[in-house]
Amino acid sequence: MESPTSLLEDSPEKFTRAQGFLLTVVACAGTTVVATPLLDYLDLANIVMLFLLTVLLVAVRLGRNAAILASVLSVLLFDIFFVPPRFSLAVSNIQYVVTFAVMLATALITAHLAAGLRQQARESLAREQRTRALYQLARQLAGTLTVEQVVDIARDFIEKQFNARPLILLPDEEERPRVVSHADSLMVETHLAQIAMEGGQPVRSEDASGLGYAQLYLPLRASMRVRGVLAVKFVSSPPDLTADSTSLLEILASLIAVAVERLHYVEVAQATEVKMLTERLRSSILSALSHDLRTPLTAMVGLADSLFLVKPALPATALETAQALHDQAGRLAGLVGNLLDMARLNAGEVILRREWQPLEEVIGASINLLGNALEGHAVKVQLAADLPLLEFDAVLIERVLCNLLENAAKYAPKGSPIVVTAKADADAVEVAVMDHGPGFPEQRRDDLFKMFVRGESESSKPGTGLGLAICKAIVDAHGGQITADNRLDGGGCIRFTLPKGIPPVVEEESR
Amino acid sequence: MNAVAAKVLIVEDEKQIRRFVRMAVEEEGCQVAEAETMTQGLIDAGSRKPDLVILDLGLPDGNGIDLIRDLRGWSDVPVLILSARSQENDKIDALDAGADDYLTKPFSVGELRARVRALLRRRSRSGETVSPLVEFGRVAVDLSRRVVTRAGEPVHLTQIEYRLLSTLLAQPGKVLTQRNLLREIWGPSYIESSHYLRVYVGHLRQKLEDDPTQPKHFLTETGVGYRFQP
Repeated sequence: MESPTSLLEDSPEKFTRAQGFLLTVVACAGTTVVATPLLDYLDLANIVMLFLLTVLLVAVRLGRNAAILASVLSVLLFDIFFVPPRFSLAVSNIQYVVTFAVMLATALITAHLAAGLRQQARESLAREQRTRALYQLARQLAGTLTVEQVVDIARDFIEKQFNARPLILLPDEEERPRVVSHADSLMVETHLAQIAMEGGQPVRSEDASGLGYAQLYLPLRASMRVRGVLAVKFVSSPPDLTADSTSLLEILASLIAVAVERLHYVEVAQATEVKMLTERLRSSILSALSHDLRTPLTAMVGLADSLFLVKPALPATALETAQALHDQAGRLAGLVGNLLDMARLNAGEVILRREWQPLEEVIGASINLLGNALEGHAVKVQLAADLPLLEFDAVLIERVLCNLLENAAKYAPKGSPIVVTAKADADAVEVAVMDHGPGFPEQRRDDLFKMFVRGESESSKPGTGLGLAICKAIVDAHGGQITADNRLDGGGCIRFTLPKGIPPVVEEESR
Repeated sequence: MNAVAAKVLIVEDEKQIRRFVRMAVEEEGCQVAEAETMTQGLIDAGSRKPDLVILDLGLPDGNGIDLIRDLRGWSDVPVLILSARSQENDKIDALDAGADDYLTKPFSVGELRARVRALLRRRSRSGETVSPLVEFGRVAVDLSRRVVTRAGEPVHLTQIEYRLLSTLLAQPGKVLTQRNLLREIWGPSYIESSHYLRVYVGHLRQKLEDDPTQPKHFLTETGVGYRFQP
């Protein structure tokens, strides 16, 4: 066996080749010594049988080459020591030539058959061992909890079965293969690993082996995708892999791939669960906070109002104070609402309750909801006739529109109109809210949508700078864009887009 | 005003909120009873037979929605819900369970009084024979003859538009949830197809509102449903 793979040498030869030949010679000589005294009692034919038995035994024990040697030696020894004239190669009777020929042929065929059987037995033994080893490997891999354990098990297996050293590489965030653990100093050629991972085919490198690099790169192919690369460095070089050991390595690679994939999904499931728990905790904290803050604010607004109901009526100054209390508490409530909204929107993925609906409706609802806050401003709504149904979360888009309208009403001079327009282009609908206020400063326009940033920092108007940040978070969650701009004739203009989709069909009535 | 003062039951666990709600309702000339818990609220609703229940959804001993379900088993007294803004689902569940209207916290006394007045008016009217003639804005609807006119001009409505209109008109001031309207007009298999409802409400506004983009009568309660305001 010259293959570097020790797989088929699991039952290593008891003797080297030279020892084998020596033993063969000894066996044949021994047979001669034993048979000589028997010459007086036995026929020559039976002595031939003794030599054939020797050849058979040698074939079974020492293999084909030794058996061939034994065949030839037996014929020679038989000729020299037993066939008259003894102690010479010459034969007295030409019939003995036939005996030699038959003897040699029988010996050779026996040797061939016996050695073949022996070979088959050894191969099936090796196969059985391999199957058992794979079975054990699969069982061990099925029980792994971490990638490191997978690596350890794979290393044990490859060291035992192939007398080679493995390394497992898994893709990082940028899909580049990275070595999982640096337990040993085996070097890998990253670009070869990359090729194996991207191509999904084994890659071999003959010239790298001398430098201590791994020579074979097998992709870890699982059901969903290539999960990484198994790099193997063989001790002897260049590796001469038989078909058997290549297929064994491929089976090994796919077993590792399945284990790695399973661990990946375990990780995903755990991460999802943690995320769900976090989400639940966060929303319960937020709603508890929201309830606890809103309850006293509700009481404050209502109690301030109720001072107007006191009989007999309170003096005018007291009522003014009550009105101021009402307004301040209302502002505080708005602020708390904004902060909670921002916390909710910032806290992670926004959960949208998307439904297909006309934009017109939510614009009308926003104007209606703001009511008194828009006092002194006529709101003009100019919608293109061809607006499609859009899929959005009505409550959140209403928040956006309310914030924009409220801002417009706050900064624009009393009596000036606020205009809301909407028009569709190829893949989005653009909504604009325009006013006749001072507009937005040229620089820092993008900053307007950051938290706690206000157009004019020392503005006397009340506000926190959360409104536009909330708008941006909501529009972003819908996959749209929001920008601040100034109208040509002065005044601010905020535009946001909502992506078009494929709206559901509303069947016309039959009539 | 009614000869006999209307009885109003307030179920709310927060004392200060109860206090000003009571003042506001008394200002409407009503007799007020208070309950702090769901259990007490149900008992009082049974024994005092109020004409209106004002109910906070977050009660210490249970969900206000369960109270409405219990109540609806034996009474059709109007129910006004007090709830926080971010609880659209709670509002919808409460309305589907049989509540009539809701107020979002914080609310002003003025809003509260307006809602109370509207609900009590509807209550007192429910005994009268319903007139087949309904008028709002410049629109007149004759339910007996299925004729709709706007500023004297006849308006043609499709079958579904008319059915939607009459459903909304039947409960003026009451918030009707999307689910409710879809089931009533299109049938149970359309409950998830909210865009039908939205498109048809749009049609009604186009045909009957002066400014369809800023409706005065067919109002949207965003995320919840619709309300007809005469």
